[in-house]
Amino acid sequence: MNDIPLEPVISMAGVTKSFGSNQVLKGIDLAVTKGQVVAIIGPSGSGKTTLLRCINFLEEYDGGSIKIDGIEVGYKDAVGERRRRSDRDLARVRSDAAMVFQQFNLFPHLTATQNVMLGLVKARGKSKTEARQIAHRWLARVGLSDKFEALPSQLSGGQQQRVGIARAVAMEPKVLLLDEITSSLDPELVGEVLAVVKELAVEGRTMILVTHEMAFAKEVADRVVFTDQGHVVIDASPATIFNEQPNDRLQVFLSRVRSFGH
Amino acid sequence: MTIFLQILPFLIDGLVTTLLVSGSVVLIAILLGIPAGCTLVFGPIWLRIPIRLYADFVRGVPILVLLYFVYYGLPAIKVNLTSMTAAIVALTAFKTAQIIEITRGAFQSIPIGQTDAAKSIGLGLIDRFIQVLAPQAIRRFLPPFVNSVVDTVKGSSLVSLLGIVDLMLSLQQVIGRTHVALPLYTIGALMYFAINFPLSVLSRRLEKRFI
Repeated sequence: MNDIPLEPVISMAGVTKSFGSNQVLKGIDLAVTKGQVVAIIGPSGSGKTTLLRCINFLEEYDGGSIKIDGIEVGYKDAVGERRRRSDRDLARVRSDAAMVFQQFNLFPHLTATQNVMLGLVKARGKSKTEARQIAHRWLARVGLSDKFEALPSQLSGGQQQRVGIARAVAMEPKVLLLDEITSSLDPELVGEVLAVVKELAVEGRTMILVTHEMAFAKEVADRVVFTDQGHVVIDASPATIFNEQPNDRLQVFLSRVRSFGH
Repeated sequence: MTIFLQILPFLIDGLVTTLLVSGSVVLIAILLGIPAGCTLVFGPIWLRIPIRLYADFVRGVPILVLLYFVYYGLPAIKVNLTSMTAAIVALTAFKTAQIIEITRGAFQSIPIGQTDAAKSIGLGLIDRFIQVLAPQAIRRFLPPFVNSVVDTVKGSSLVSLLGIVDLMLSLQQVIGRTHVALPLYTIGALMYFAINFPLSVLSRRLEKRFI
């Protein structure tokens, strides 16, 4: 393996996105190298989640470029003209950027094991036997060895989210996207989910996480990106962001977050 | 008592006709309505618009008007249907519109997050449909569908107005000859009930199981 990665796993340049007349992303530049954990923080409405959803093209970006391992995510150049990728093409690109969702979004008709297996069988072309082994291994890793055959409705929020993480990470994506994954959990269940994420970070997985858990961002992230009003305002180490707070808007944001007792 | 035994075969003939009409209506409506409903959700706009218009229009017209339109109206443009065919065509037109709506509702009530999750693990359009959306849609489809079948059986009594001897008309004919109204209507009601009650129970079971 190369010690110095030639190109970042994720590179975004000048990404713009509007919903109607409301421009949510106003030219985002961001590069993430292999093994980095990047936390995106910022006030609600600052475009954090949209930014994350653009990376696996759940939202179509209007301008700029997003590349995963050098491959443009949503579009391909056809004689200098930007053309949207076919659905089949998109599916392949997307599986390199698996996502964990705020609302879990587990498939309610499938067991925990089947939830994890589905992408392995249908997108990665693995045999069911192999997919099941991988699923069991990952479910065990997230502490759910006794829940292989449970349906999502039989699991607590924290357990469901851990299945969600297993489902995403089992795809061995080049980057793992975590979208406010603890925001809809009861406070006492947050810890078990964050513990899993921390383990994945330590193991060197590339991750981008949108989060409101400042303490967690500080602990687990290599870099923290503060976004506001569609811009990346500051992109720095957690120490710089949280200790030095070298920006007015960041200071205001952090003081608000703290006053709510997180 | 003997009189009941004498008329029973006659009523059963009527019942068989009722079941035949209802059965064919439901079967054809499923074959037409489910694909049309899926097209309404996933199809291109130029197909969605006519389906939308059809479903809205037909559901806004009384079934009786549809029946008379097909049986008495269409001969004016040289479409002459037997009363049985006309009845099945009219009822099917209505049931298809209903099934289009039920199908649409079944898919559209699935949270968008399901599609997001399926996309993010790399599933293409067909796998998203077969593996993720359709299994959930079926659960949402079944309870209103069973209710709709019950409606079909009850609503099929309208075909008696075209002179088809279904359970309803056979009852009336027997009553016309015997002048025994109350017991016979009771028997008739019980026969409809005997078909529909198990369906209602099934519908409630399905709701409990899946929702």
